Amino acid sequence: MEYFNAVGIGQLNNISMRKEIFKTFAKRGWTSLLVLFLLMTFLFLLLRISPGDPSLKYISPKLSPRLTELVKKSFSLEGSMPAQYKTFILNLAKGDFGISYTYRIPVIRVIERALPFTIMFSLLSFFIQIVSGFLLSMFAVKKINGTADKIISKTSLPVYAVPSFAAGVFLIYIFSEKLNIFPSSGLTSFDTESYSFIQKLIDYAQHLVLPVITLSFNGVAVFYKYLHDNLEDVYNKPFVENLRANGFTEKEILRKHIIPNAVNPLISVAGVELGLLFGGALITEVIFSLPGMGRLTVDAILSRDYPLVIGCTFVAGILVILTNLCADIIKAMLDKRIAKGILN
Amino acid sequence: MHRSIKIRQFILMLALLLIITRYSLIAKVFFLFFLYIQLLFTSPELALAQISFQFIDFAVSIILLAAAIIYFLMAGKKVKYFQSNLNFTSAVIILLISFFLFAPLITDNNPDFQKDLSVTKLLPPFSSVKVLHLNNDNYSTGNTVDKFINLKSRVIKNSFDDSIIFIDSISAGNKLTYYQGGAEVLLANDKVIFKNNTPLITTRTFILGTDELGRDIFTRLIYGARISLFVGLGSVLISLLLGLFLGFFAGYSEGFIDTALNRLTDMFLAFPVIFFIILIIALFGNSLPSVIMVLGFSGWMSLFKIVRSEVISLKNKDFFVSARLIGLSNIKLLLKETLPYILVPVVVNLVFQYGNVILAEAALSYLGLGTGSSYPSWGSMIEAGQNYLSQAWWMILFPGLALFLTLFAANSLGRKISSHFNPRVNS
Repeated sequence: MEYFNAVGIGQLNNISMRKEIFKTFAKRGWTSLLVLFLLMTFLFLLLRISPGDPSLKYISPKLSPRLTELVKKSFSLEGSMPAQYKTFILNLAKGDFGISYTYRIPVIRVIERALPFTIMFSLLSFFIQIVSGFLLSMFAVKKINGTADKIISKTSLPVYAVPSFAAGVFLIYIFSEKLNIFPSSGLTSFDTESYSFIQKLIDYAQHLVLPVITLSFNGVAVFYKYLHDNLEDVYNKPFVENLRANGFTEKEILRKHIIPNAVNPLISVAGVELGLLFGGALITEVIFSLPGMGRLTVDAILSRDYPLVIGCTFVAGILVILTNLCADIIKAMLDKRIAKGILN
Repeated sequence: MHRSIKIRQFILMLALLLIITRYSLIAKVFFLFFLYIQLLFTSPELALAQISFQFIDFAVSIILLAAAIIYFLMAGKKVKYFQSNLNFTSAVIILLISFFLFAPLITDNNPDFQKDLSVTKLLPPFSSVKVLHLNNDNYSTGNTVDKFINLKSRVIKNSFDDSIIFIDSISAGNKLTYYQGGAEVLLANDKVIFKNNTPLITTRTFILGTDELGRDIFTRLIYGARISLFVGLGSVLISLLLGLFLGFFAGYSEGFIDTALNRLTDMFLAFPVIFFIILIIALFGNSLPSVIMVLGFSGWMSLFKIVRSEVISLKNKDFFVSARLIGLSNIKLLLKETLPYILVPVVVNLVFQYGNVILAEAALSYLGLGTGSSYPSWGSMIEAGQNYLSQAWWMILFPGLALFLTLFAANSLGRKISSHFNPRVNS
């Protein structure tokens, strides 16, 4: 982290500036909440005006109208729409998402089981994307327009265009069907009860190799391209020439001046990428039948499990808001000049 | 000296290839039109009743083919673009466009054609199947109407065909016996077309193999290109209209609406929209129009941002202010003063958006929420192939490859346009 000092991570002792930052944070917080509220309202309306009645999946009114009423009541689908909306918002404010129609347990419990996996999975992939993108671009930029640079840059463009779900299915074909190296689906093998901790860990890792590759390779290309272009841009700036003329070594220039300047704009891209990664994880989870939020959401949508849909969307919204906020905070910490601008 | 092919030459080569490989079909189509025009004069109401989507499809593609050949032979020389060297991107784009326009001429199969599953299912690429031709009692009286209908049934392929049988092998005798995947079937001799005293047997080659229902993958790929391009164009158009108008009015008015819309697009840009797309399509049913609408409505945000920020900076420019003071209406301000100014970033954005939409459509089809089973789509082909992964790799490879090439072409086209107009940025 030492090269960030070059940008000037000044001391946060200026009280008026702190106040300003706190103010912008508060503003950002309540607008985010407002957006989340609007999102939930929109979702509620969408679910209520959509054709079809989820209670029909469990009971037919022809069998017993009284029982149907009971089922509807237990699904909180009875009464007028404004009344439903009121209870919906009140429950949401209390943090109560209701009971999932399919699993018959509180939505929070269902999400609790799926959320850690998705967060772990996305962060792992995100980490791999950033690190390999960074390493590759550093490797390529050592000699701009050299052979390595040309090869990596040329391959990064097609790699970005590979549709991840087609690639995922094809990876299963090669590595699971033909070579039989990695398992094709699920998170654990059948007989993991007797395994020791280490063996379980290896088992997890083996199951995660193909999904992580599927989820990551597009992002590696994105980060590589972005970083590479930035680095090249900074390389061509006059101040680099000036430093060189003053006798700084290439290594020092790269480490202290070029990287900090090139990395800075990457962080906001990274924030957005991480948010979008939750959506990308959806398809990957479906391909490899992994027990994460994406598959849970798709299943909930397809089976019209309204409380679960709302719960999943709420959690996804919170995650997105948090990641963007994190990205902006990091960016503001690195460069004070833009602190006010981006936090708005 | 290295001499590369010009774009115009490439197009003409493709047209020549099409004519050489499909000359009989093209001749038949021309003759069909000749008969149709005759029919129009003799019995107009019958002629009008014969019009179907496929008929118009054939008509449009053959007219376009003729027009394209004439244009590129005569006038194509004058356009600078067609004289430039061919590169990978433009080759893929030209191929896609020709798939889109000339699909019925490129393949002479119906994308849903399936018959004799036990013989034709899951065939690897370049496999040939023997075809036994049956003796259909198609009466021909020499009447124009009958001739027309006969010819039409031979040109416009249905998803079924009663006049052929796919077989593994055959043994002639008193009664004909043919074998289909282990089963043997007896057939009366007079039902089969004979040639030189042996039953007429031809072979049909499936270039890219067949899927689990014995349908030709090549044909489905070509028609799938149509769906992809159609969905892409439709939803990009919706995004364009929404982004342009909302962006213009938000940037121009700069009031409460501007703030609200800006906040909303911020949220939508960060949120994985695929959740909403899946939700809306799952709740309201999936069909071609609904997929186009939903994808169009979920893609206007980045365009909105571009247009809005450009309009805000444009608003105080002299030419814009004077145009407003003259008294131009808002629509005219948008179309005549703003649009030419922001054309390049908008077009670049649209091209990238187009790639995103095609990918999203394929992903939706993969999840079973695409344009429905009535149209072949690359995503749904991949989805079907996943179930037959151990037996038929070609079911995934070819649609995946087609999708990849399309996305790659769209991406590099967008990059090329942007670096062409902003050479300093991406030098």
